[in-house]
Amino acid sequence: MKVVNLKNIEKSFGKLKALNGVDLIINKGEIVSIIGPSGSGKSTLLRCINHLEIIEQGSIDIFEMPIAKAKEGEKTKYIYEKDLRKIIQRIGMVFQGFNLFPHKSVLENIMEAQLTVKKTPPLEAKVIALELLHKVGLDDKEKAYPSQLSGGQKQRVAIARALAMQPEIMLFDEPTSALDPELVGEVLQVIKKLAEEHMTMIVVTHEMAFAREISNRVIFMDEGKIIKDGTPEDIFVNPTHPRIKTFIERMI
Amino acid sequence: MESIIFYILAGANTTLRIFFVTLIFAIPLGILFAIGKIAGGKIIKRILDIYTWLLRGTPLMLQIFFVFYGIPQLFGIKLDRDFAAYIAFIINYAAYFTEIFRAGILSIEKGQFEASKALGMSYPQTMWRIIIPQAIKRVLPPVGNEFITLIKDTSLVMVIAIPDIMRNTKEIVSREASPETFIIAAVIYLILTYGIVFLFSKTEKRLSYYD
Repeated sequence: MKVVNLKNIEKSFGKLKALNGVDLIINKGEIVSIIGPSGSGKSTLLRCINHLEIIEQGSIDIFEMPIAKAKEGEKTKYIYEKDLRKIIQRIGMVFQGFNLFPHKSVLENIMEAQLTVKKTPPLEAKVIALELLHKVGLDDKEKAYPSQLSGGQKQRVAIARALAMQPEIMLFDEPTSALDPELVGEVLQVIKKLAEEHMTMIVVTHEMAFAREISNRVIFMDEGKIIKDGTPEDIFVNPTHPRIKTFIERMI
Repeated sequence: MESIIFYILAGANTTLRIFFVTLIFAIPLGILFAIGKIAGGKIIKRILDIYTWLLRGTPLMLQIFFVFYGIPQLFGIKLDRDFAAYIAFIINYAAYFTEIFRAGILSIEKGQFEASKALGMSYPQTMWRIIIPQAIKRVLPPVGNEFITLIKDTSLVMVIAIPDIMRNTKEIVSREASPETFIIAAVIYLILTYGIVFLFSKTEKRLSYYD
């Protein structure tokens, strides 16, 4: 199944063209890293997939259902909010800045959308939340509040919160960029675990070694375009494109 | 002396009634209008802008006069004194609460909206469960100010002859020429406002379990 299918999408912020005609198909089970210099449009691309950014041109299909349809000579039109929400809740997202709910405990953070969106009975939601906390290695933190956690722990809770909705794809937007170096490992470990379970994932990252290790596909972006879409070897071992070459050399 | 205190305390009863009725209606209205100002359509925003401008831009005393004397003449209906006072206070205070809650909601990080949306939560769910609870904590200090101001503002109802603390005090002073009555009134106001200050510092402490 084509989990994501972007066709010729364009997105601007004022005069800046953040995405300039991007095509991208992600199939079920793929683990895709998106790399590239800052401001190349990586995060914007990711955010377009779950409607955090609105595209002006092109079309977006998610799970082979159109959510944004291109119109000849007009701006792209999105489907109705309600239908859109149903599709978005099948996409999990993890943010650079965690975005945990500070007024809710760790457990409540993971239960919140289960209760309000999925209408899961509270007891069942709690069981799922506790299982996920175990999975991310935070068994003893259920009662803690986000402010009492380290960055790495916060991000692991954020991953658990996203997983609680049983998403069919996970989007990671620079999940370790806000972390102290010694905390990066524990978060990457959890993402790696998901990779081993063949979760479909798109990871925007600056962790080159990690991208190379977990992905079966790497995308290089520059100036709002996909410059290269290939295997990790294509990008890290034999980069042919001069832009990619200098970037990789600088990063490693 | 005792009868003087009891007479003023009877006025305090009125003061507190206006205080609570105003808050019970003005706070929810303020939150609703704040959301309207942030997320409403163009027309709703425009109407709310005019509303807060009018109500914050004219004296509360004028508004009380208008509701009690003006509306009955314009529409040929009769309004109970207390009811007129409630209406004037509620629409006036709701305007201030609208602006306070609007600022509070706007101060919440964009990431909170984005995380909620990414989880599939609807806008109303996001507002009521994620944004408003956090906004309430942030606006506690200015809301506390409003509570204190409201206690004192209730004294304006004496202009439509409602027997509150102030009106009863003035009556005693002019009848019995006992200026110490003013001090009794002041002490009662101070006790009431101290209660508010105390309650708010308690609430702030209780909500300090996060951040």
